[in-house]
Amino acid sequence: MSFSTELLIKVLVVLATAPVMALGLTLLEVKGSAWMQRRPGPLHVGLRGFIFPLATAAKYLQKETIIPNDVDEPVFKWAPAWVIAAVVGLFTIIPLSPTLIVRDLELGVFFLLAISSISTIGVLTAGWSSANKFSLMGGLRAAGQLIAYELPLILSVVGVVIQAETMSTVGIVEKQIEFGFPFVISGQGIAFIIFMIAATAEMMRTPFDMPIGESELTMGFFTEYSGIRFLIFYISEYINLFVMCAIASTLFLGGYHVPLLPTEWVNFYGPLVLIGKTFLLAFILIAIRWSFPRFREDQLQTLAWKVLIPLSLLNIMATAIMKVVF
Amino acid sequence: MAQTMDPNNMPILSEASVSVEIETEDMTLNIGPQHPSTHGVLRLVAKINGEKISSVEPVLGYMHRGYEKLAEVRTYPQVTTLVNRIDWVSGFANEIPFIAGAEKLMEIEVPERAQYIRLILTEMARISSHFVFNGAFPLEIGALTPIFLAMEDRERVLDLLESVTGGRFHPNFNRIGGVKPAAGAGPTTKKDIQDLPAGFYHDTKVAMQKVLEAVDRFEDLIGGNEVFQIRTKNVGVLPKEVAEEYGVSGPILRASGVEFDLRKQSNYLPYDKFDFEIPIGENGDCFDRWSVRTSEMRESAKIILQAIDDMPSGPIQAKVPKVIKVPKGQTYVRAENPKGEMGYYIISEGGLGPYRLKIRTASFSNISILPIMLEGALLPDLIAIMGSLDFVLGDVDR
Amino acid sequence: MNQSDQNEFVNSIQSKFQNSSVEFDTLKIEVDSHSWVDTHKTLKAEFNLKFFNWLSAVDWDNDVKIGDAPKEPVTPSFEIISCLSTTNSDDLVISSTKISKEDPQIDSLVEVFGGANWHEREAYEMFGINFLNHPNLKKLYLPDAYEGNPLLKSFELISREVKPWPGDVDVEGMPEDNIVVSEEGS
Repeated sequence: MSFSTELLIKVLVVLATAPVMALGLTLLEVKGSAWMQRRPGPLHVGLRGFIFPLATAAKYLQKETIIPNDVDEPVFKWAPAWVIAAVVGLFTIIPLSPTLIVRDLELGVFFLLAISSISTIGVLTAGWSSANKFSLMGGLRAAGQLIAYELPLILSVVGVVIQAETMSTVGIVEKQIEFGFPFVISGQGIAFIIFMIAATAEMMRTPFDMPIGESELTMGFFTEYSGIRFLIFYISEYINLFVMCAIASTLFLGGYHVPLLPTEWVNFYGPLVLIGKTFLLAFILIAIRWSFPRFREDQLQTLAWKVLIPLSLLNIMATAIMKVVF
Repeated sequence: MAQTMDPNNMPILSEASVSVEIETEDMTLNIGPQHPSTHGVLRLVAKINGEKISSVEPVLGYMHRGYEKLAEVRTYPQVTTLVNRIDWVSGFANEIPFIAGAEKLMEIEVPERAQYIRLILTEMARISSHFVFNGAFPLEIGALTPIFLAMEDRERVLDLLESVTGGRFHPNFNRIGGVKPAAGAGPTTKKDIQDLPAGFYHDTKVAMQKVLEAVDRFEDLIGGNEVFQIRTKNVGVLPKEVAEEYGVSGPILRASGVEFDLRKQSNYLPYDKFDFEIPIGENGDCFDRWSVRTSEMRESAKIILQAIDDMPSGPIQAKVPKVIKVPKGQTYVRAENPKGEMGYYIISEGGLGPYRLKIRTASFSNISILPIMLEGALLPDLIAIMGSLDFVLGDVDR
Repeated sequence: MNQSDQNEFVNSIQSKFQNSSVEFDTLKIEVDSHSWVDTHKTLKAEFNLKFFNWLSAVDWDNDVKIGDAPKEPVTPSFEIISCLSTTNSDDLVISSTKISKEDPQIDSLVEVFGGANWHEREAYEMFGINFLNHPNLKKLYLPDAYEGNPLLKSFELISREVKPWPGDVDVEGMPEDNIVVSEEGS
């Protein structure tokens, strides 16, 4: 198979998978929140409400795209593209099995951290170009938050990299299989919690959703967006949720592998195991979202700089010492 | 300034240091009248410096309906339909002070049973109003779950209110001299007036137990939530001297540590027959305002349970003339509404309607402290403070 | 609430202010418009009436466009009414003063009670009363371009002119009987 054919197939598969996962998580969110709030949730749109996310997406697709007069049009129009490109790009390094991966990069973790910060540009430009004070504040809050939480995200992963002695995502999973335990119970528990908190903040989900903060800023940086561009922001939020949870389960929870299952068949059960772990993590984040109010901007910065970053530095030190001693 | 180049006045280069501080200008942010957390159509013109608020000016009047003027062209029984709509979250409680004022001017003794029914329904209105607060306040600071739970729990209380009065929000149930027979009661004949629907006592007891459970759940879900605590504790502290000077009343005043509750201090309804406590806050911050209201729900449920057990029998309507004319006189009657003190100054000139009706509403005074409380606060605190004041725009604008 | 405390309070107020009356449990004192601010200072300092309840006005006029006219002729004037109370008992004082309609102005209470600010703005737009030394005397509810003072008795309700309100018909009967009483007889 030539390189270009392979690339085409991989791109098509990723482009097909990403929205499906997003729709699945949307469904999990609406049904999960309904369950938490003692209400039935969507019931009437086909199959007892199970195609509701699809109907939502179809609705946004056929809506008129409204572009306000004073916006900086090219910037405004391209802002959603940055965001979705960043999150879909991360699919590259998610290993569904040792071979089912778009590209097992040598510097996989580095790629993850580099690509995920691109969405900051999209969010900031969306907020800036909207010609709306609420959007601007949302965009600035988002930029501040993404920069603050990039650090604990990176630093918590460094511990994993030290322990695994590799940056390749497949390599990290293989190391966990070899080790016998996933990293979350063999040394990187604190790093896992820091990673999940920082990832929640990166995803701008409650309790870190000040950039959207609908009771203060209406809809934050995407207040002025409508139609398909709104859909792109909306769907990239859920793709991001999937990607972040998938990476967390790869780095900390043993990825595509579960103990006791024969490793020869990993190509068959690997994708299911990873997606299962991902949805489990996503459900925890959903439960958190529907239980907590949001932080205030300064409290969020305090949490990042005064708690999470020192903790993750300590974690790196501890991991390094353990590595040298044993 | 047109200044000529004077060599003596030329700035010396060493003194003309480069100013590294960037000149910034406050941004004017117009919040409302269409905004998710302004409870309707309040408009705030805020000057903000980054996230910090330098000044706020509330702009009112988007819901001004001129009730004081309209009351002058209505008869006394008709005014109750108007006052129902002042604070629509607790419509029933609005009627009480007006009706009590008219009765005081006409010197009518209201039968005890009617007073008990009024008291029970007022406390139900208080519970339903505080349920709305318990849903809306966390919603404003970002927790979406409590409002669904609160609305479901409130429904039980509203069902009871509806079974008695026939209306969920605007009961229009009080008559001068008593109350009307309940909507859910059987057919009314001259001999046998059924004033409450069948099974009302039992249903109320069940519902009040559910309310007590709900209050426990809210104290756990909202009050025990760490993020909620750090968002509300020491935010929007209102000293009691300022609160008194601005006429801030109700749970907000009590959260600031003033034990002022007209249910204890005044005698507009027979509250002195029941055993209940007035919850008091210590710091006067947003968390205290939440906790005072939530504890009040428990006390209200207790009052209702006692009143149900203690319910006297007898008529529910005093003898009144068919055409109600209120003799000349002036009086001010006030009551402890869910939002605070509500009062009516009625000036009667002996006609069918009031010559002048001054409506003193709680939310109007309660939000008049917004410019003071919000100065120097952060933008997210603005939302928390406004939510904790629990105002209704109909109660502000009248 | 203690009855004797209440009487003691009423007596102390009545000994301080000559023109006072208790009508339907409401203690009202009438003062001269020049001593309006001083009265409130006294009430706040000496009688512990720290809680500013409300302030409003009444338009006394014999020639009314809407509603019922006063039974006995009155001298056309504005009556400014304020209400103060304590925060530990039911004690409450209504203070009132009359000012002429030709030159409706009075000193503002904002320096004594900050809470008077919005109430005075409301009275300003509804009656056209000018509060001297008010920090921010502009309309509170009505749009800036609005003309007229709605709560004046001379201010007509246009909709009432077009379609008269059924007025004195009591739509619902009393519990004893369900006869609709109509004075119009039709």
